[in-house]
Amino acid sequence: MTGAARRDGWVGYAFVGPFLLVYAAILIVPLLMGLWISLNNADLFGRREWVGLANYAQALGDPVLGQAFANTLTLTLLIVPPLTVIALLLALALNRATRLAAILRGVFFSSLVLSVTIVTLIWRFILTPDAGLVAVGLGALGRAPVPFLSDPAYVIPALAVTTLWWSLGFPIMLFLAGLQQVPHDIYEAAALDGAGRWTVFRRITLPSIRRTLLLVVMLQTAAQLQIFGQAQLLTGGGPGGASRTIVLYIFEVSFGRWELGYATAIAELLFGMILAVTLLQYWLVIRHEEQRA
Amino acid sequence: MRKRALAFGFAGVLLAGCQPADERPEIVVQRFFGECGAVYGASTDVAGAETECGILTTLINRFAAENPDIRVKVNVVAWPGYPQLAAQIAAGDPPDLVTMHQSVIADYSSRGLIEPVEPLLAEANIDPAAFTPAARAGVEKEGRLYAMPWDTIGRLFHVNTALMAEAGLMREGRPVLPNSPEELLAQARQFKQRTGKPYLIQAQVSAPDFMVAFLYTYLLAQGQPIFPDARHVRLDTPEARRVVALMRQLNAEGLTTRNQDFPAATAAFTQGRGGIFPVGTWMLGPYDAEAARRSSALHGHYAVAPFPRLWGSPAPFVDGHAWVVPAASRSRAERAAMARFLGFLARYNYDWSRTGQLPAFAAVLATPEFQALPHREDIAALARTGRQLPGYVERQSAVQGLIGEELEAAITGTKPVDAALRDAERRVNRLYAQMM
Repeated sequence: MTGAARRDGWVGYAFVGPFLLVYAAILIVPLLMGLWISLNNADLFGRREWVGLANYAQALGDPVLGQAFANTLTLTLLIVPPLTVIALLLALALNRATRLAAILRGVFFSSLVLSVTIVTLIWRFILTPDAGLVAVGLGALGRAPVPFLSDPAYVIPALAVTTLWWSLGFPIMLFLAGLQQVPHDIYEAAALDGAGRWTVFRRITLPSIRRTLLLVVMLQTAAQLQIFGQAQLLTGGGPGGASRTIVLYIFEVSFGRWELGYATAIAELLFGMILAVTLLQYWLVIRHEEQRA
Repeated sequence: MRKRALAFGFAGVLLAGCQPADERPEIVVQRFFGECGAVYGASTDVAGAETECGILTTLINRFAAENPDIRVKVNVVAWPGYPQLAAQIAAGDPPDLVTMHQSVIADYSSRGLIEPVEPLLAEANIDPAAFTPAARAGVEKEGRLYAMPWDTIGRLFHVNTALMAEAGLMREGRPVLPNSPEELLAQARQFKQRTGKPYLIQAQVSAPDFMVAFLYTYLLAQGQPIFPDARHVRLDTPEARRVVALMRQLNAEGLTTRNQDFPAATAAFTQGRGGIFPVGTWMLGPYDAEAARRSSALHGHYAVAPFPRLWGSPAPFVDGHAWVVPAASRSRAERAAMARFLGFLARYNYDWSRTGQLPAFAAVLATPEFQALPHREDIAALARTGRQLPGYVERQSAVQGLIGEELEAAITGTKPVDAALRDAERRVNRLYAQMM
């Protein structure tokens, strides 16, 4: 390596060094500390007692965690595919330079700036069976109110709808950014060739934004596997744990029961799960691209 | 010109930030009981305040106004606020004075996370002998006082007497309450048949504490040791199955409201949509005020009574609120400020008892003002018969969450009663087994 190349290398490290230091301090070190704590019977206040993999063994046999895992997976499946499709359709509809489209882009994005507390408050007013908007509507039709927030059959769909409403803005923006990167001359060429709208979407638009699509699916999957605020504020995980999510369970175990070691073990398992799902999604898309190449 | 204006502006901003340091001792008061700043944010009229939130907010405002040499910072936390407190203690940044249920104190005192308060009480001229026996028992752990008690709380039957009369369940102006589970079911059916409304109003959604209090009350009544020792709960018993089966039966027959959270249940009671709302002493004041309102469905038709004796002997489960001091290093001036705050609160214990809670200071019980408060003779039995859990029982906040969740599943019918009680026992015992 020449002296200039070596110097360039050091300059590169100097640029990324500060970021890497902060990244290591606030992400890598806590991750490693978490791994260590998960191997201990630990409370919130510094007590530690080595138990090896016992917390992990306990997690694998914990029926409450099993229920929380199933709830989280169901929620993710109920949220990510519809969210992706709806956001893409809305982005396609709003990808035009009209005043109405600009206003609607703002409208759809606005829900995202609300805090989870406000979102759950709004949806409580809509869903509560006593005097909620839906109950009033059903009452006007002579129908009984539906206990969306207290019936095990309805709580998960209620949380999914709330989250869909709240989360639409960001994927729409990502899709719009992706759509605006597609060169316009390809569409002109397709028009000259007489391609229909569906063919244009399938052959040009979708392949052009596939990386944005992957990004949206990966981000949303990772986010929904960590769903917490809506479950805690809207249903408290009830009834009978029917809407308890993994992160809500981690919160209860660590700050309610003070079992920090066990909570950390569950958090590490969740981290592994999110990493595996994300890598799987990435691999599926990359493999597909390599096959095309 | 523009540069000079900018420079002056910048200098002005910098100078505005320069002010003498506030040398006053600061105390951080952390409390639950809700947020009502919109109504009581600036009020210091304690006698004119209503509800727990209103009275405590005006009390703190008044203390701040009367003690300008102390900086009072208030953290309002969502009930019960223990996850936040645990996180604050773990982070080494606890508040100075915190509201805490007496049943929770042992969790913190046994680990040295809160301080004994005898020195502060002495500095505030508060004699522990002035506490009621129930209040003192709630804050005394292993011979030390770990809090200043603030009240004794229990659950009551809040009764709509107009609907009870319509159901034929009034005698000599008093509601007729059951003396056995069979009578309870019979009266509830009669009530529903005659009024078309549910006998009970219950907050079943996100409110596990009521169901746990109901279970504890009737297990204590049957002489059942719920916590035989510090590391075990006993719930998988015929006595517990009887209690939960009754709650499930009421639910299954539609003799109680369903799918209501606390605000919805309160609205249902004040609008006359059910006969009896079994909820805490803390709603006595607000419901009495509602009954005084001419346009209310409760107007002139409100009564209260302790939980009826359904099994064994009357033994309602009671708890209490208290002020604890998280362990931390504090200056002499800060401790003096905290003592002054406790002394101030102690002087206003009567005003706090207007909420419906029983006062923590025995002298208040004897005052004509307290005795003149409505319905206090109806709940006096609570002070005599109320039972707390043994002092060695820890982790009540978490334990009640676990039991409440299983009870909810049993009562709503999503889990058999036996399985729910077995699971509750297993989950609580596992929690105790993990406890360090």
